[in-house]
Amino acid sequence: MKSAFLRLDRITKRFRNVVAVDNVSLDVGKGEFIVLLGPSGCGKTTTLRIIAGLEIPDEGRVYIDGIDVTDLEPGDRDVAMVFQDYALYPHMSVFDNIAFPLVVRRSKLRLGKKDIEGKVLKVARMLGIDGLLDRKPTQLSGGQQQRVALARALVREPKVWLMDEPLSNLDALIRVQVRAELKKLQKDLGITTVYVTHDQIEALTLADRIAVMNKGRVLQVGSPKEVYEDPEHVFVATFIGSPPMNILECEATKETLECPGFSKPLPPDTVNLQGKLYIGIRPEHIEIVSGSINEDVVRAKVYVVEPLGAEYIVNVMVGGEIVKVKTSKELPLNPGDTTYLRINWNKVTIFDPETGRFIGKLLDVNTP
Amino acid sequence: MKRNLISKRAIRTLALNVVVWLFALAWILPFIGLITVSILPYREVIVKGWFRVPDLNSLTLNNYVEALRNPLYDLATSYRNSLIVASLSSIIPVIAAALAAYAFTNLDFRLKALLFATILFIMMVPQQLTVVPLFLLYRNLGLYDTFQGIILLHSAWGIAWVTFFLRNYFKFIPKSLVEAARVDGASEITIFYRVILPLSIPALIAALIMQFTWVWNDLFYALVFLASGDKQVITQKVVMLKGEYHVDWGLLTAGSIISMSTPLILYMVFNKYFMRGVAAWGVKR
Repeated sequence: MKSAFLRLDRITKRFRNVVAVDNVSLDVGKGEFIVLLGPSGCGKTTTLRIIAGLEIPDEGRVYIDGIDVTDLEPGDRDVAMVFQDYALYPHMSVFDNIAFPLVVRRSKLRLGKKDIEGKVLKVARMLGIDGLLDRKPTQLSGGQQQRVALARALVREPKVWLMDEPLSNLDALIRVQVRAELKKLQKDLGITTVYVTHDQIEALTLADRIAVMNKGRVLQVGSPKEVYEDPEHVFVATFIGSPPMNILECEATKETLECPGFSKPLPPDTVNLQGKLYIGIRPEHIEIVSGSINEDVVRAKVYVVEPLGAEYIVNVMVGGEIVKVKTSKELPLNPGDTTYLRINWNKVTIFDPETGRFIGKLLDVNTP
Repeated sequence: MKRNLISKRAIRTLALNVVVWLFALAWILPFIGLITVSILPYREVIVKGWFRVPDLNSLTLNNYVEALRNPLYDLATSYRNSLIVASLSSIIPVIAAALAAYAFTNLDFRLKALLFATILFIMMVPQQLTVVPLFLLYRNLGLYDTFQGIILLHSAWGIAWVTFFLRNYFKFIPKSLVEAARVDGASEITIFYRVILPLSIPALIAALIMQFTWVWNDLFYALVFLASGDKQVITQKVVMLKGEYHVDWGLLTAGSIISMSTPLILYMVFNKYFMRGVAAWGVKR
């Protein structure tokens, strides 16, 4: 196993009675881009702040490059952080903002005025803001401010780069542009990066690995492909994907799987499935077919069709539940029409309704 | 119809103007009186009264010269004393309170809430309540009738409210600025003077001016704690311009104007900052 460059070891943080971070362990490799993804209040920002040293964990340790930094001040950890609001000093010029991390530890780093100037210019050129160095932050656009914040975080060549929703204050168009630049920059420089976001698209596009968090816990860590295709928890399944995975509450008997609106015959030797289950089907693994030509289809009623340009999200009612179907075909469907769904049963995932944990793929669980 | 509407609005504007001007006049009139009397000879004020357009030929600055120069009144020395006492009694508490306010805003320590509550409590204690024990304490400590003593006293009172005032202003500064500086390796004292102080200049100036005005205008503590003539401050001396049986109105008004000119000039010079500093106090967070 690759040794971890940044390691969180069973971190717990409570605020009064609320457990913000609950026994979180995470290993991040050198140069890796890891995204903490989750809804607001899931503990992702607190986790990031613990890495930065802005919060002290109640339990657990933080290691960076093999050193236990849990009790070190933020400034002694050799990490840099980009804040959601950029946190640029409004009274300083862009140059002074970028130079700040160097200036405040000038004596420790043994830097002269010339060295600082050189470093600031280098990083400013890299980010294309060398023409703005004399301006004040308020005279910059959001995208430019963002670059200044990135430059300030880079100028020190930190061991770990921490980012707290750095793109969320940007316009949608600029966000997509900066996102790509950010990824390129991170790959070019090879800086270990921990990035917090609630935006799954950002997570999927940027991350080498994603840690999905909910209620203070890390539910799954994996590559974007893994968390998308093999969610280990029903929360991961419903949080990632647009639209997310359809979850149906079904009941397994000996021969069949009884779901609202349809039942699916199971192979005779099914022993692992008993009682209530959640089954998960991605919208793209359902196909809308016009007629009940063969028997393995599910009858549904069209609820509404949402066009998304290149594709369509068809909302259908199956036994009182809304199921979303993604299709690239333009179908002549109107609300109220009866239609038929062909489900790709190979892709259907089963979750435990109690714990939310992944049990298996529907067609795998039968074989012991 | 439209014309009717316009005239109605015009009448309303006119009425509003009249009312506002009346109020303004009521406010300004004493000042006009003060100035008129101070630049006229005593005789003329007594004979002709002050509420009139003054005769240009009789205008004089004698009252001012007399008040400042005459060793009997010697406002010049007391003016200097007031400057020393008021400026030190504003600079010291603002520096101390800025440090305290920074701690209350950005640091975590035990009993923080209790300490802050204590400061609020101190702010509300009437000054008169403390004067007897302070007098005895000062006499024993040898601080009675000294500049150090009265500066210490005013500073102590000042620290309480300025801490409260600046803490509210500091809270207005985004916390991420402080945190960013911490992650960048700045010490707390560096963050204080490189990030927080430069961003708080309006509040610092507002606090300085308010505290300065307060100390400058103080008569009560000065009367109790400054006894000898060469140490007395201007508010004490202005009172003495009025004799027991005879009031030289010219002298008294000139003294009053000298006394109140300093805070007024300060306020006019720093008006812009003052407004910004105080305005932020009312901003909802």
